[in-house]
Amino acid sequence: MTQVETHLTEEERQAFADDSMSPEQRSSAEAHLAACESCAHDVARLTTLMKRIHETPAPTAPLDELWPTIRARIEQSKVVPLAAGAGTGDGGRGAGEPVHRAIVGRRARWFASIGVLAAAAILAIVVQMRSPANRAAAISGADTNEAAFIAVVDSAHAYEAEAKVLLDKLELQRAMLRPDAAKALEHDLHVVDVAIAELKDAVARDPNNPALRQLLATSYRQKVDLLKRITNAS
Amino acid sequence: MSRTMSFVTSLPIWLCVAVASAEGQRDSDGPVLGAKAAVATTSFKIYNPAGRVRIVAWDRDSIVVRGHIGRGGNFFFGGGLQGMKFGVEEDSSKGKAARSDFTAYIPKGSNVSVRTVTADIEGVGAAGWFYSVSGAIRLSGTTKSVEAESMNGNLDIDVVSPWIRARTGDGHLLIRGAPQDVDAATIAGTMDITAPSVLRGQFTSVSGDIHYIGAPAPGGIFEFSNHSGAVDMQLPRDVSGSFVLSSIVGSIENGFSGVRPAASTPHSMRLNLGRGGANVTVRTFKGQIRLRPN
Repeated sequence: MTQVETHLTEEERQAFADDSMSPEQRSSAEAHLAACESCAHDVARLTTLMKRIHETPAPTAPLDELWPTIRARIEQSKVVPLAAGAGTGDGGRGAGEPVHRAIVGRRARWFASIGVLAAAAILAIVVQMRSPANRAAAISGADTNEAAFIAVVDSAHAYEAEAKVLLDKLELQRAMLRPDAAKALEHDLHVVDVAIAELKDAVARDPNNPALRQLLATSYRQKVDLLKRITNAS
Repeated sequence: MSRTMSFVTSLPIWLCVAVASAEGQRDSDGPVLGAKAAVATTSFKIYNPAGRVRIVAWDRDSIVVRGHIGRGGNFFFGGGLQGMKFGVEEDSSKGKAARSDFTAYIPKGSNVSVRTVTADIEGVGAAGWFYSVSGAIRLSGTTKSVEAESMNGNLDIDVVSPWIRARTGDGHLLIRGAPQDVDAATIAGTMDITAPSVLRGQFTSVSGDIHYIGAPAPGGIFEFSNHSGAVDMQLPRDVSGSFVLSSIVGSIENGFSGVRPAASTPHSMRLNLGRGGANVTVRTFKGQIRLRPN
């Protein structure tokens, strides 16, 4: 699976931390972790987080009802809020929503879980990032902030999942796109995907670099924005 | 109820006055296509596939639309005080839509939702959502908030507003005027920012260059992020701010050579200029970062 010279991938580290690896993969990963301090450190952080999550009592309200509040809290902590309705893809403007409502409903639970992770991490770092000086330091990576690290990991995962949902939806709408809009979309998607591929490659080589993770999360956000924008063109 | 009735009964006279009024309207806008009573809480949905849409906010409780509809186009105009829809319907059987140009005068404070395909959009004091596939969007005046999006059209945002959000793919994005909170992004388009009033700004691109000219406001928080495009900041010599610059593989060019960085590596730098002031974070993957004194 993974040579000692190559770092564990994002998926492998996550799977190791939440104990969802197959026994063969796990033994191979354990061998790598014994030899790689960087991955071992990263996995230890993720494992600690997972442990905290498991120890946290389950919410009394249904997860689907919690998500709007969680999202609002995430939005408040950002420099500039995203557009309303971002969590549902296109804010209800696009066609094909009934077809995908079931898929979105299933994924909403997954998003809610991610949201709980992200909200917990962001709330933890908000206290430390109150002052502009601390904020800048965290962003620059000068201070390795565990909470910030976890938050960015989660945000990249959330955006990746949201992009997948939007791409599925776009496939249904593609035939209705105007040719000029379709051409612009293809070009822009290519530009963003190339950037994401380069960043993922860089993150795999240097998984503990917070600046890289921030850039990756930003590129995913760009992709999600683009996919939402194109739904308005159909 | 009686108030509503008196409003309705006086409507014809009132509309005649509104339509006949030349104040704020231009003869070149063309004949009146529609006119109605409206209030500041009325929302407007506007659609024009090709040509030009101009939205002007005025100090009247009415909407007047003037313009010229292209051959084959059908102008629709309906709704009430809650919300109205108007614009040009495309006849798909006739192929490409002909150009239609119209100007809508709407009550100041009302919200618009404008969509076009290739038509250019111009807004003067209008708030709301402006979207075009490939048309240019130009917004000016004082407004409560604007959100402008285009796939590959140019955006020129020159407003006084507490909040703006702007997105384009390959188009040029220009932000000027006096906005406070700005969230702006392009994919490959170039972005120029010349708005010293910004207090919180997030400027993002994937491969387009970002140019910032001016002095960041004291206490302002700015984030610039680019993948392969450059981030070029042209600042006054006496600028105050804390700058955190990092590029994974790109270079960092510090034109403030007289100031010793608080921390510096080949691909990152922390620089305190003046007495603190704004907090600026610049992050790129392989794009160059340049700080240049004016």
